[in-house]
Amino acid sequence: MPADITRDRTVAVRPVLARFAPVRWGVWLAHLVLAAAAVVAIFPLFWMATTAFTPNEIVLRSPFRFWPEQPSLANFHTAFERHPVASWLWNSILVATLVTLGKLVLAVPAGFAFAQMRFRGRDALFWTIVATMTFPTIIGIVPLYIGISMVGLYDTLAGVIVPSIAYIGFYVFFMRQTFRTLPGDMFEAAWLDGAGPWRQLRDIAVPNALPAIASIGVISFMGAWNIYLWALLVLESPERGTLPIGVKVFSAIDDFEPLWGPMMAVALISTLPVLLLFLAAQRVVMAAFTGQVGR
Amino acid sequence: MVRQPITWQSLAPYVFVGPAILFVVVFLYAPVLFSVGLSVFDWNFIRPEAPFVGLDNYARIFADPNFRSAGWNTVLYCLALIPAQILVPLGLAALLLRVRAGWVAGLYKAALFVPTILAYSVAGVAWLWLFDPLNGFFNTVLVWAGLPTLRWHTDPDLALWCVAVVTFWKNFGLNMLLFLAALVSVPKDVLEAASIDAAGPWRRFWTIELPLISPTFFFVAVTTTMGVLDDIVGTIDVLTEGGPFGQSSNILYYMYQRGLGFFQFGQASAAAVIIIALVIVVTWAQFRLFERRVHYAR
Repeated sequence: MPADITRDRTVAVRPVLARFAPVRWGVWLAHLVLAAAAVVAIFPLFWMATTAFTPNEIVLRSPFRFWPEQPSLANFHTAFERHPVASWLWNSILVATLVTLGKLVLAVPAGFAFAQMRFRGRDALFWTIVATMTFPTIIGIVPLYIGISMVGLYDTLAGVIVPSIAYIGFYVFFMRQTFRTLPGDMFEAAWLDGAGPWRQLRDIAVPNALPAIASIGVISFMGAWNIYLWALLVLESPERGTLPIGVKVFSAIDDFEPLWGPMMAVALISTLPVLLLFLAAQRVVMAAFTGQVGR
Repeated sequence: MVRQPITWQSLAPYVFVGPAILFVVVFLYAPVLFSVGLSVFDWNFIRPEAPFVGLDNYARIFADPNFRSAGWNTVLYCLALIPAQILVPLGLAALLLRVRAGWVAGLYKAALFVPTILAYSVAGVAWLWLFDPLNGFFNTVLVWAGLPTLRWHTDPDLALWCVAVVTFWKNFGLNMLLFLAALVSVPKDVLEAASIDAAGPWRRFWTIELPLISPTFFFVAVTTTMGVLDDIVGTIDVLTEGGPFGQSSNILYYMYQRGLGFFQFGQASAAAVIIIALVIVVTWAQFRLFERRVHYAR
């Protein structure tokens, strides 16, 4: 049949053609587009860093430079002098660490129970938690704000930390998926050896899921490091602020001499920890963000 | 029927799950339910009593031109950002897959993902500086090119698009990673079979890879739609605070401002209820729309 002949010819010809022009050209085009996109993606950060290391007078006088002119730490000095940036840094570390610990303490046992235990109401309870993933983050912000004020947590870090722990939908889901991949026999054997639920969790489940726990730990830390609107509402005293809300202070003051340099310096300080964390644990972070278990 | 004795064994699952449930109920469900209740009372911090006003709060915010423009802006944000945040990351992921050289691809991937890990406020101020009408990078370039300068985020007609650009920049990386993870998992033998049948890269993408990653596509579509409502609020606050003249606000930011800028708790709660209803309807519609088109091949 003629159709078969054409088909056979294609099989023979195609691989030969494929090695030449069209495909290579496509790869080069891919490189070009990706490189351009990468440059655009990085540029605002690069510009931020360049500005942070250029003295503010020069920033305001001649804004066009791709490398710091007379590089100095003057902006950092100004920032630390005018505002309690060191406290902001410490508060940010505290918030990010405690929110992460809180989320892990809640999500790991819950994920384990949903994955490996049988109990009444399991599915309903699981979906009750997972459904919160669809909630807009600030949807309950008004009642929450009233509640936090009434229990006296206004202008405290606890007021920022405690409600932020509640966004555990993804974490519980992720931990359940992880613990599900562990063989049930393992826990049955442990049970026969007399290990109760607590020891099964602590001695078997957790040690076998450390990479997964680490990856959600990293995501949670990054997320909590960046909490903005809620912290802005709850924290009032300048020295109780965090970096994300502190960074914006510089845009409000002093219209005569805009403090772009110090502002970018603080922005850089608040970027560096998450950036370093990301660069150090890139594979883990990316795997966790896409819901895969990191290795 | 014999009642099972209550033991640590039988209670353990509830002890493990309990704290998580408690937090979710107290800090997520309760505030939402409280909003529904609050939306029929006229309450603010100043007055001690909170009279029942029925649907007055709803009537008032619907009559508020700011609410209407926030609603319209929400539509504009969706129209601009949802296609962009799905198609551009999909394209970038497909390109990343074609670039086989390991470390170069890794470099592109890392660079493209970096904006995603930033705080909204940091992303916001970095762009605030680029947009700055006086000394900012963009206007400097325009002057250098001999073009008229723009007022960027302080221009009522441009503010919304500035917010959209920053939001896009901050969020596209995650979708790109999700698409890439899905594309990598498309079985190689299927693609090879298609190559042997003389399907070019373009056709392979549309007829094999795209259908096979449709569950991810669906997931991305749902989360992106939520994000356009939700994630954008931080950017709005840093960049424009909804202004000038409410031209870059959206309904969630409107709710936030009504409640905690003007302390109109009742009206803010009415807005919250409208948003919840909207979220439920949109999520439901998306599930209906995609349900039949998604292949679960794996």
